[in-house]
Amino acid sequence: MTIIETLNLCHEFADGTQGLKGVSLSFKEGEFTVIAGANGSGKTTFLRHLNGLLSPSSGSVTVCGKSVDKDPMAARQQVGMVFQDADSQIVGETVYDDAAFGPENLRLAQDEIDDRVEWALAAVDLTGYENKRPHYLSGGEKRRLAIAGVLAMKPRVLLMDEPFSNLDYPATRLVIDQIVALNNNRHTIIVTTHDLEKVIAHAKRLVVMEKGRVVDDGKPDDVVKGIQRFSIRPPCSVQLGKGILPWVS
Amino acid sequence: MIHRLDPRTKQAILMGISVVSVWGQTAFLASFSIMMILCFRSAGIRISDFVREIRYFLLFLLFIYGLRTITIDSNWIPFFSLESAGDAMVVCWRLLLIVMMGVLLVATTRTAHIRAAMIWYLGPVPVVNEKMAATMVGMIVRFLPLILFRGGEISDALRARCIEQRKNPVVRTVKFTIVLFRRIFLDADEFALAMQARCYNEQRTLPKLTFTRIDVIAVAMVFLLSFSILFDTCVSPIFLLFHFG
Repeated sequence: MTIIETLNLCHEFADGTQGLKGVSLSFKEGEFTVIAGANGSGKTTFLRHLNGLLSPSSGSVTVCGKSVDKDPMAARQQVGMVFQDADSQIVGETVYDDAAFGPENLRLAQDEIDDRVEWALAAVDLTGYENKRPHYLSGGEKRRLAIAGVLAMKPRVLLMDEPFSNLDYPATRLVIDQIVALNNNRHTIIVTTHDLEKVIAHAKRLVVMEKGRVVDDGKPDDVVKGIQRFSIRPPCSVQLGKGILPWVS
Repeated sequence: MIHRLDPRTKQAILMGISVVSVWGQTAFLASFSIMMILCFRSAGIRISDFVREIRYFLLFLLFIYGLRTITIDSNWIPFFSLESAGDAMVVCWRLLLIVMMGVLLVATTRTAHIRAAMIWYLGPVPVVNEKMAATMVGMIVRFLPLILFRGGEISDALRARCIEQRKNPVVRTVKFTIVLFRRIFLDADEFALAMQARCYNEQRTLPKLTFTRIDVIAVAMVFLLSFSILFDTCVSPIFLLFHFG
C-alpha cells in the first residue's frame, strides 16, 4: 500500500533558487528507503514537504491519500521527522517533557502521554533519563531523544535527515540498531544521507537526488554501482568488489 | 513539602511576598530570611551553590547598594551617608529574598507545571493570550542555554582567529554580535519548524494541578509571616515610644 506520494513536486525558494524540480516518488508502507545526494541536492527540502513544513510551488504531496498542503496537521501525525540538528529539535526542558511534547499537542490524556513517553524512551534506550536536562546529554543521546520525541507520537512513517551526522561509532551503531528495529516493527523509514556506508545494507530502496531532481531510483545493489557519478562515495565494500555489506556486524 | 506544593500556590506566595516585602523592614526580612534558609535546606539546595549560581546578580546588587548609598548634595558633590546605607541594605535584602524565592520555585517545580500554573493565572486576564505567554516562558527556559552555548562557540571561534589583536572593543563586539544574532535567528527558525513538525498548537494537554491541605498550611504560614510586617511598621514604633519616650 502506498503511504506517501509526490507528483511533479517543485519548490522554489524566496531568492528564486529551484530546490526541487518535478520530483515524483511514491513510498510503500513498511519500506526502508535511503535518499542519497550531495550537499544542496534537495534531500532536506524534499523531507520537509513530506511533513508539511514546506508548501509546494507546484505539484502535490499526499500522505495516506490526503493532501499534505490541505491538512498538514494530519500529515504530521502520520509522518514524524527527525531533524539533522538534534539540538534545535529538542523543545522540552527535561527529557520527559521533550518526549511528551508531541503527545501533549495531540491532546492525549495524561495517562496515555505517560505510557507513550515511557515506551518511546525505552525504545531508544533512554529509560532513567526522564528528569535530565537535554542540554547536558551527549550528541548520541540527544539524537536518540529526538527519535523518542517523534516515536511518542506513534507515526507510521519516520523521516530522518542525516541521522548519523556528528555521531561517534557507538552512538551511530545504536541509532542504526534502532532504525532497523523500527523498520522490523513495520514502520516506514526514509533516511537522507550523503554517507551511504552506514545504512545502505539495511535499505530496500535507494533514491539518488542531484540538483533538485531524482536521478536514480531502485534496489541498492543496482543503483550503488554507478553512484560515484553523482558525487556520492560508494561504500568501501562496493569499491572492493564485495557488494553491499553491513557497516556493523 | 515544597516539592509537593501546587505550583499555583508557590507562584501566589512568590507574588504575594514580593508585594508585601515593599513594606517590610528588618524584623520581617529577618524572619523571612530564616524561613527561606529552612526552605532551601528542605529542598536540598546548598547556600554555597546558590551563591555561586547568582554571583553576577550579587554584583548587580552591590552596584545598586553603591548607587543608593552615595547621594549628591546641592553642590553636586557625592557623599556617603549612614542613613542611606541602612535603607540601601534593606532594599538589596528584599531583592535578594525575592530572587531566593524565585530560585526555590524553579528548583522545586517542573517547568511544565510552572507553565500550567501561569495559564491558570493569566486565563481570566483579557487581551493576554495565556497559552502563548506560557509557551514563550517555556521556550525561553529551553532556548537560553542554547544561546549561551552558541555565544561560547562563536567567542572561541573568534579568539582562535586572534580577535584579541583588534584593540577597538566596538569592532570586537560587532563581529561577535552579528554572527551570534544570525545564528540565533537560524536556530529559532529551526526550533519553530521542529515544533510545527510535532503538531504544536495552543490546545495542548496540560499537567493536572490540584490544591491539597499542604497548600493551605503553606499559605497560612506565609500569612503569619506577613504579620511580622505589622511589628515593623506599627508595634515596634509604639513600643519604643511608650518605653523610651
